[in-house]
Amino acid sequence: MDDDDYWNNSETKAKAFSFDDDVLSTQEILAIGQKPYSGQSNDVPFSSTIVNNTKRNLIPLNTLISPKVLDLIVLAQSGKDPKDKIPENIDTTVATLKRLILGRSCFLHVHRSLKSKTELLDGAVALGDGNAILSVVLFLIQTLNKKVVHELLSSRPLALNHYISYLRSECKITELTDLLTMLGRSPEAAVYQFQHIVKTQGNSVDGLLRKLNNVLSNHFNQPGIDTHSTKMLTDYIKLLEWQKYVNKTELNNKSVLECLTHCCQLHWHEGAGNMMSPLTLCQRQQITPLQYDWVVLNVHANSNKWDIVESLFTKKDWLGRTTVSSHIPIETLLSQLNELQASKRMMATCLNKIQNGDEKLRLAYKYKIHSVVIESLLKQKDRTALTNYKMTLSPQSEEYILAENTLREPSIKWKN
Amino acid sequence: MDHPLSLKLASLSLVSQHKLECILSTCGNKIDFIIDPMLIKPLERICGVTWLRQHGVDKIYKMDPQLGATANTKRAYLIPACIQKYKCVLDQIASVLSLNPSLSETKCFHIIIVPKTMSTYDSILESKGLYDIVQLHSFSWELFNLDDQLLSLELPFLYKQVFVEQNQSLLSSIAMSLWSLFHVTGHPKCILSLGKVSSSVLDVLEVYKESYQRDFINLDKSQDFGSLIIMDRDQDYASSLLTPATYTGLLNEIFSINCGQLDLNVKETKIKKGKVNFTTEEKSDKKTVITLDSFTDTLYGEIKHRHFSEVLSVLSSKAKLLKNEDIKALGIQEMKDYVTTKLQQVTLFKHNLVNHVLACETIIAEMNNKFENLTQTECEMLNNRNKKGNYTYVDEHFGTDIHVYNSLRLMCLLSLTQGLSYDEYNSLVSKYLLAFGYKFLYVFNNLISAGLLVQPSSPKLSLNISHLSNLSERLPKWQTAFQNTANKLKQLPQTESENSPGYVFNGSYIPLVAALCNTLLTSESLLEVLNKLSPLNDLKVGGAVIDKQKIGMETLNEKLSNLSLNNLELSCKDAKTILKILKSDSKMNGGINIKPRTVLVYIIGGVTYAEIAACEVVQTITNSKIFIASDCVSSGSDVMAANV
Repeated sequence: MDDDDYWNNSETKAKAFSFDDDVLSTQEILAIGQKPYSGQSNDVPFSSTIVNNTKRNLIPLNTLISPKVLDLIVLAQSGKDPKDKIPENIDTTVATLKRLILGRSCFLHVHRSLKSKTELLDGAVALGDGNAILSVVLFLIQTLNKKVVHELLSSRPLALNHYISYLRSECKITELTDLLTMLGRSPEAAVYQFQHIVKTQGNSVDGLLRKLNNVLSNHFNQPGIDTHSTKMLTDYIKLLEWQKYVNKTELNNKSVLECLTHCCQLHWHEGAGNMMSPLTLCQRQQITPLQYDWVVLNVHANSNKWDIVESLFTKKDWLGRTTVSSHIPIETLLSQLNELQASKRMMATCLNKIQNGDEKLRLAYKYKIHSVVIESLLKQKDRTALTNYKMTLSPQSEEYILAENTLREPSIKWKN
Repeated sequence: MDHPLSLKLASLSLVSQHKLECILSTCGNKIDFIIDPMLIKPLERICGVTWLRQHGVDKIYKMDPQLGATANTKRAYLIPACIQKYKCVLDQIASVLSLNPSLSETKCFHIIIVPKTMSTYDSILESKGLYDIVQLHSFSWELFNLDDQLLSLELPFLYKQVFVEQNQSLLSSIAMSLWSLFHVTGHPKCILSLGKVSSSVLDVLEVYKESYQRDFINLDKSQDFGSLIIMDRDQDYASSLLTPATYTGLLNEIFSINCGQLDLNVKETKIKKGKVNFTTEEKSDKKTVITLDSFTDTLYGEIKHRHFSEVLSVLSSKAKLLKNEDIKALGIQEMKDYVTTKLQQVTLFKHNLVNHVLACETIIAEMNNKFENLTQTECEMLNNRNKKGNYTYVDEHFGTDIHVYNSLRLMCLLSLTQGLSYDEYNSLVSKYLLAFGYKFLYVFNNLISAGLLVQPSSPKLSLNISHLSNLSERLPKWQTAFQNTANKLKQLPQTESENSPGYVFNGSYIPLVAALCNTLLTSESLLEVLNKLSPLNDLKVGGAVIDKQKIGMETLNEKLSNLSLNNLELSCKDAKTILKILKSDSKMNGGINIKPRTVLVYIIGGVTYAEIAACEVVQTITNSKIFIASDCVSSGSDVMAANV
């Protein structure tokens, strides 16, 4: 293919990025280069090639950093005490905090008074090192009673967050709920409970149903919880009940749209009363018409059942003309039909739904729906544009003849 | 003696190698080395298999919870600092021990944790009865020099920990990476920090500096970086959320990139994987990898930061050059020379060319029709225009071609720039949950706590507000907080200008880092810098530049012992305070002239390719050098994935 041919005929012109005209086609560049290189397979756990450093002459280590400094860097990584320095007096707050940050072993138990413990906590929070903060918080939990610790934490959000994060990673969910409830943050506790359940139950429908029903009645039906979240949880339970009823492993804990996809693929013709019918699922889970249309379109187009797509998305009006009726906005519909390789006739029907003539013409050009382009140019009486367009069509094709006949039509008053 | 900075940075890998060597030397010989898959790529940059064998490693395995018996009794695990992975390793060791209890006496188990062991790890070890049986080691590798002027710590889980879970346990690792780096490059004179996490990192850095202060350390000997700008990711979420227009930015939207290695999987792109699947397609197993390093791939260096619309024409002109190189006309001697000197180069070049063209084709196929509408809508959001239309666009997107990460990203951008009403918010949440499963209900809480989403007020409250809405419409120009700051810092270009760093987002937004760099590099004095940056909260200043002013620095011990709550200023001073002092004291003359020529930018929580490209523009305009460092190079979908 010639350079110019490629850029004029291929789809590239219609795409969002515009390129210089004087470029080679990607096919041509590929031809000049070689076949795509395939790297080593991923089965080897560790490849023996060193990425880039061997190709460069790196600075020898002892030139880059003096050996003494290098030792210090290694020492810092290990978190061990330096031999050349006498350890500081370890019972001061500052010394303890520093040791915590540097990762050195330290004896928190020397801090016995509440004053000393509070100072330690404030110091750790002020420095912001999470490891130190958490160590101090856990030490306080060990040595102070709950009420006192919670009081200390409630006025120090950063420390509290570290404790929450710790309880979550350790799956201490009851303690977490107690803590948050005591602080008057039960809505958060409800969400953490929920998250814990979905992360630990996997796809077990029975387990999820039991635990989620529990969390719904104990935590989500309380004042202060966002009503929409509660509704979502109720809908989740409804879906799981449906999944339990249909009893198909591949659908367990799948999303509503994934289940709908399954129903559309295998149970399309089942009536509204049947549990597997797409309509049943649609009603139960309140799938929006837009989402329903989208799934139906994609499922049937992908399995090449264009007759279903057509019967669903087009209808005859009282004049007997076919028009498109869908909840999918027309421009999105067109773009998706194009992606799914719908017939030109279908695309044309869709385009004809657009009232605005310029918009229709623009999209007809974009998707190369020749019949609509020709018709629109005829409406605009734009002979020049139509003549130019005719040149881009392959001679003696159906569209070419249509364009030619239109141009020859004597009754038309062309504007140019 | 003084080497070029780029070479010094590349040589940091030797420091990492030395650190690993010190750990392995304590593990003995004939070790089975069991490595977590996510650490393989970074480790490859530190050492090779041969090197590992020379240092006691016998066999190498991928970490797998089901891993059975291995060749030797000695085991060294290499895992990231993730509590689940750590516990998984401990369980595995416990099951090995139950089969062979005598091993508990032999000290044959080692766990090397990247970047460091946490204090809780010790207590977990103790509680499982494995203390003294298993040895823990911290391996804090140095920043990787991924590409020219690009450094990364390659800890992709850090964003999730710090910003989503609000767990700052790894901040000391960032501080340590800076501390070692400065042993090689010297300390920057002027430090700007933006955000609470950054200022904590600098405080911890101060602890390292003071604790390891020795006579033989002279940090002022060389000053490769005049200045350091360190910033929290959440200070500029827009730069993560917006769709980039540069080549590398788009590459990271489509392909997964790990440690500077791009997986050129044209069948299963990030876009395809994130959508609801209506078909059962076959999976491809062919693997092609592109190393994104302009040192080895000069072609990449030429196109990486270009606006995508230019890339294909550059590639095409390179291909033409190749085509014109006619080797038939060469004589035998010339042919020989060609084969020995140039052929390998040309072959490599061709292979790179092919890969980049394939990548471009995939980008076009995936972004195709959507790019224009998407970037246009994003631009409207940024400028707080056409709110209703933007919401309709997002809502329709959620109802049709929804993507597990990218759709959330749009929702977050709309929420941060123009806000969402209670009903709008819930409509999007419902659609998302229908598509991907109700199990993701918690995701929205994560997004809210990460500051990516603003929780709309309850319906009762919004009723009250609706009475006021008439009033607010009558106000001259109502702007959200986002637009307010962005306008003051001139981040929203109103006219298209040629050399603007905003090209990375199609001319609609200048990343905050680029704006910071530009201010620092073009201002005459500290006073001017701080004046221009006064719309920013949480801005602090540190380094010698304020030491010299005697604005009041005490030693660490003094400061910590006199510490008053919430007002610790260890390493840095609040910018607003300094601004006041500078303004009031005419003798200071607006602060000394800082004018750095080389700036190090460190973003905590991942830097985007768009930000890197924008900084390069600033570098060219101001005739300076800007080096970028972060804990990883991330994209908007990575940020979303961390919340899921």
